[in-house]
Amino acid sequence: MEQSAEELNKIEKKDLFTSGHRACGGCGQALAARLVADASGENTIACVATGCLEVFSSPYPDPSWRIPFLHSLFENAAAVASGVEAAYKALNKGPVNIIAQGGDGSTADIGFQCISGMLERGHNVLYVCYDNEAYMNTGVQRSSFTPFGARTSTTPMGNKTRKKNMPLLAADHGIPYVATATVDDFRDLQRKVKTALSIEGPKYIHILAPCPLGWGHHGELTVKICRLAKDTGIFPIYEIIHGKVTNVRKIPVKVPVEEYLKLQGRFKHLFKKGEPTPEVAEIQEIANQNIERFNL
Amino acid sequence: MEKLPLGLVIDLNKVVPYKTGSWRTLMPVNIMQIPPCTHACPAGNDIRGFLRVLAEKEDYKQAWHVLARANPLPATCGRVCPHPCEAGCNRRDFDSSVAINCSERRVGDYGLEHNLEHKKLVSGRKEKIAVVGSGPAGLSCAFHLAKRGFKVKIFEANGEPGGMMRYGIPPYRLPNYILKQEIDSILRLGIDLECNVKVGVNIPLDQLTREYNAVFLGIGAQKGLAIDLPGKDAENVYTGVDFLKQVNSGKWMEIGKDVVVIGGGNTAMDCARVAKRLGANVSVVYRRTRMEMPAITAEIDEAMEERIMFRYHTNPVKLVTDEGRVVGILSVQMELKEPDASGRARPVPISGSEAFIPADTVIMATGQAVDYDGIDVQTVDNQWMYANEFLMTSIDGVFAGGDAVAGLETVSLGIGQGSRAASAIEDYIEGNVESSLAQPPVVYSRDLNTYYYNKQKQFNKEAVSIHTRLKNFREIYPSFDLKDIIEESKRCFSCGLCFHCGNCYMYCPDNAVKISPSTGGYEFDLDFCKGCGLCAKECPCHYIQLTLEK
Amino acid sequence: MLKQIEGSRAVAECVAMCRPNVISAYPITPQTHIVEDLAMIVGQGKLDAEFINVESEFAAASVVLGASAAGARAYSATSSQGLLLMCEVIYCIAGMRLPIVLTCANRAISAPLSIWNDQQDSMALRDAGWIQLHAEDNQEAADLHIQAFKIAEQTSLPVMVCMDGFILTHAYEPVDIPEPKQVDHFLPPFTPKNIVDPRSPKGIGLFADPRFYLETRYILHRALEKSEATIKAVSADFAKTFGRNSGGFIKTYKLEAADLVIISMGSVVGTIKELIDRMEEEGKKVGLVQICSYRPFPRHEIYNVLKDKMNIVVLEKSVSLGRGGILASDVRWSFPRAEKKDRNISSFIAGLGGRNIPMDDLRYMVEKVEKEPVELEFLGLKKELISEKDL
Repeated sequence: MEQSAEELNKIEKKDLFTSGHRACGGCGQALAARLVADASGENTIACVATGCLEVFSSPYPDPSWRIPFLHSLFENAAAVASGVEAAYKALNKGPVNIIAQGGDGSTADIGFQCISGMLERGHNVLYVCYDNEAYMNTGVQRSSFTPFGARTSTTPMGNKTRKKNMPLLAADHGIPYVATATVDDFRDLQRKVKTALSIEGPKYIHILAPCPLGWGHHGELTVKICRLAKDTGIFPIYEIIHGKVTNVRKIPVKVPVEEYLKLQGRFKHLFKKGEPTPEVAEIQEIANQNIERFNL
Repeated sequence: MEKLPLGLVIDLNKVVPYKTGSWRTLMPVNIMQIPPCTHACPAGNDIRGFLRVLAEKEDYKQAWHVLARANPLPATCGRVCPHPCEAGCNRRDFDSSVAINCSERRVGDYGLEHNLEHKKLVSGRKEKIAVVGSGPAGLSCAFHLAKRGFKVKIFEANGEPGGMMRYGIPPYRLPNYILKQEIDSILRLGIDLECNVKVGVNIPLDQLTREYNAVFLGIGAQKGLAIDLPGKDAENVYTGVDFLKQVNSGKWMEIGKDVVVIGGGNTAMDCARVAKRLGANVSVVYRRTRMEMPAITAEIDEAMEERIMFRYHTNPVKLVTDEGRVVGILSVQMELKEPDASGRARPVPISGSEAFIPADTVIMATGQAVDYDGIDVQTVDNQWMYANEFLMTSIDGVFAGGDAVAGLETVSLGIGQGSRAASAIEDYIEGNVESSLAQPPVVYSRDLNTYYYNKQKQFNKEAVSIHTRLKNFREIYPSFDLKDIIEESKRCFSCGLCFHCGNCYMYCPDNAVKISPSTGGYEFDLDFCKGCGLCAKECPCHYIQLTLEK
Repeated sequence: MLKQIEGSRAVAECVAMCRPNVISAYPITPQTHIVEDLAMIVGQGKLDAEFINVESEFAAASVVLGASAAGARAYSATSSQGLLLMCEVIYCIAGMRLPIVLTCANRAISAPLSIWNDQQDSMALRDAGWIQLHAEDNQEAADLHIQAFKIAEQTSLPVMVCMDGFILTHAYEPVDIPEPKQVDHFLPPFTPKNIVDPRSPKGIGLFADPRFYLETRYILHRALEKSEATIKAVSADFAKTFGRNSGGFIKTYKLEAADLVIISMGSVVGTIKELIDRMEEEGKKVGLVQICSYRPFPRHEIYNVLKDKMNIVVLEKSVSLGRGGILASDVRWSFPRAEKKDRNISSFIAGLGGRNIPMDDLRYMVEKVEKEPVELEFLGLKKELISEKDL
């Protein structure tokens, strides 16, 4: 349903994902989950994959969700959401916002099959991916979203592969709406969630969610790190509406990637005695490619 | 314990959340700090207070009341104060300072336009206090004491109240009607005023100390000092103070075609610009350079705009007279050597560089001193009045403040000292020991998170054209637009005090920042706060800080 | 109405009459005809349901999980590899107590690849917490589906209806397909207990730390044990409504006078009954215990009907590699240790990978155990294919 610009830009705080969860202090994913739930409102069903989000938010007997949630397995959030959507259609119930949520693995690795199926079949479901760039819940192991050069417990010498571009992969399924967002700009994130929910069909939103524990920074820097990720070009912000890239966030002042890398313990090994190693140049190259490709 | 439900399915409306506050080692606290503007203000104005009222509520009336709490002369200060607040403003390190001075003026003017009245805090105390002098220090002391319910009487030596504000500052800087309205508003708190009474001459000081519970001396430094040059007693030679007093009393001065002003302070600038408006060619003679001139930069700039000539490195040697009247000065060029006792470069005459400067009038604005006539108090090095840290003089129960104590200072310093003296007088009368609570810390720009602000140009006050200015003594800056000042007030960062930006509320991953039902402000839910510090990091004004958990 | 109909088709028509709201399955031989038939029924508008074509069995199970949790009556079907692929979800569905019905067209498991029938697949998931019912013939297969929805919804336990792949699914037999009115009368609309619904927010799928998990398993185990009453009641109810005996816990054949009892399940029971009849003519007294409900395991029933029988042979189409017969272990466990006395319980593995079980092999089995008990034997093993060192 169409929403006015005023409704889309209104900041929502309803605590539909509330206190008492066991996330680490300063967790980017917890913040994102709340922003998403509030933007969607009470008429929402959350289908959550196993991962940090599920583990810290749904222990018996005190889960922190206040909207109905359904958690099944690690890799099937998208398929479960498809089932919920089918049920609501078959039973002529609704309308209802169905949001499937998962992290790196549940979206792009072990869960890739299910999300690909869901997007291809055209279910009216919003999939939100919380990208913290590793399998955080099981102990910071490498995922397909782990960026080049990052240290994880399974790539202790630094990751050698480049980040999989899930938003573009999702868009190439022919879905009507894809967006990327970060937790520092909550207005933008909530607007994108609301925009997505107003469109019929499968939608995909990719949110960068810094992990203080896994990335090696203080919890208080979560917001600042998101800003640097945007302003270095490492994480481009854009929407893809019916296959066309639009609403690209231009970078006001370009920041060299070192500013971003230096704040995180997982990139510490890239600076020997304060001097950057050649990998830093490669990371800068990746950022430059993003800047060029999306005209940031 | 509850029995396990079917399939472990749980009703979300019945959940008792787990209190994650027990995880904390650091805790966020709200600490109100002093913004650098207030810290720099000699009167201690709540600048952040009145600017935020304008910015958030667009309410001039409430802003005036906030401002008038500490400063009863906002329209005056907004015209004459050299605004050290702006020099301290944290926004200076971001783009440019907030135009506090202009904002103060507009709020002060609003108060006068709408006849806003000061409020008494307490009524009907029986003690009486005598205030000597109705300059800024005396008026401020009387104001604060009257608000606290004391009976106050001001004794003013001149015909009208205001001190140097009335008789020193020319009307194109401070129109007389503005000053009068503000003074009348102060007096309406029930303060008695008797003019043309010089304490120490017309009434002995010890009569006041007998009849009143306390006395405040705000007698200023109104005696002009001339340099001891031959010819200084001629009738067309004036001290700066005398010259201005005569002009401000409404006397028309015949000053001729060429006027030479000697001196580099504010008085010298005022004299020069007044003389210019009286139709003369004016030059200012100063033995060092512009950099060493103690006058306010803006005054010097405006004087130069008004085509007053500045002769730097120039020192008068002798006043040349003809038939008892000065016809010019003999001056010599100086060069600057190593600094002297005042910290400024020491000027040394260049031999052979003597020159004659014709003058129909010579004004020596070369220093001022306290007129101690009949006032027998201890002084410091025979110059300024001695007063201890409670602003009490060597006489018990006699307090003092302003130029007489601090040297040649500003209106706002006088106001600040008057207010401090009022508190000290109240303590003295009640036998209280002055409290020595620590002051909150000052917040500097390095503590702020300025990411959330956009650069915005400072409000620029525009003067009327030079041509128009010199035709009369009217104010050179016409009234400011109410909307412009509100826009400017929104540039205030609210350093050290929450301005409800909502960052902490939105950013807490644990929903541990709540809106207080009683105050409407933000408070921390310590049952759930994990002490991650995101709120403190993203608070633009440093109001939230992390401390160790108890 | 009596129809000469393919087993898959019979099942599809009966499932359709149960009015599932969401059907999702991934094709795998030999379940394909069931799913295709249902797709056609839905496509022709004869059934108002959402038919979701998914990308794998894992997704199919997840879709029906989501649908059931949202309040829909949900159905899926699979076999062999597909069942193993959805193993995670199978356990999850049981733990969540969702009343889903799944058809398992029993088929052998890779490697090596085999598309033919045995029961290793459903056996691999016997511990997951599902009710497992085995059909003897196409009539029972069709009937069991109708009963399954009712059992599932009354017990809040998922039900797996097992029917032998190809043997039943692809065979044409006369099957009495009930009238839709009868099915509607027998099976009321689904009134779900716990669903995700914004009007009454619930959390489904929480995690349980060590303080709580043990109890959830106990509760599930007891629920399965207690479902015995429902399984029997629904079967009796079915008999009343449709006029034939179908399903239930166990069935017996010519047991009272038997000297030797064969225990088995699935379609091979038909062959066994034929053998028993022939042997009766020859003067041999052999009886049959047919297991309908494999989970919950009918150990009390087995004990009760067999406590006076001293010679028992278990014939099954499954094996626990490295241990022996699975059904045989279950049966052996049904008799209390103290009481075993001279009872012989022999274990025969047959029919793996679709190997035919001819009458002669069964006869050989009976004659062998009449002489001596057999610990474990693979019936019809072709020793000529096995090298010396592998024996």
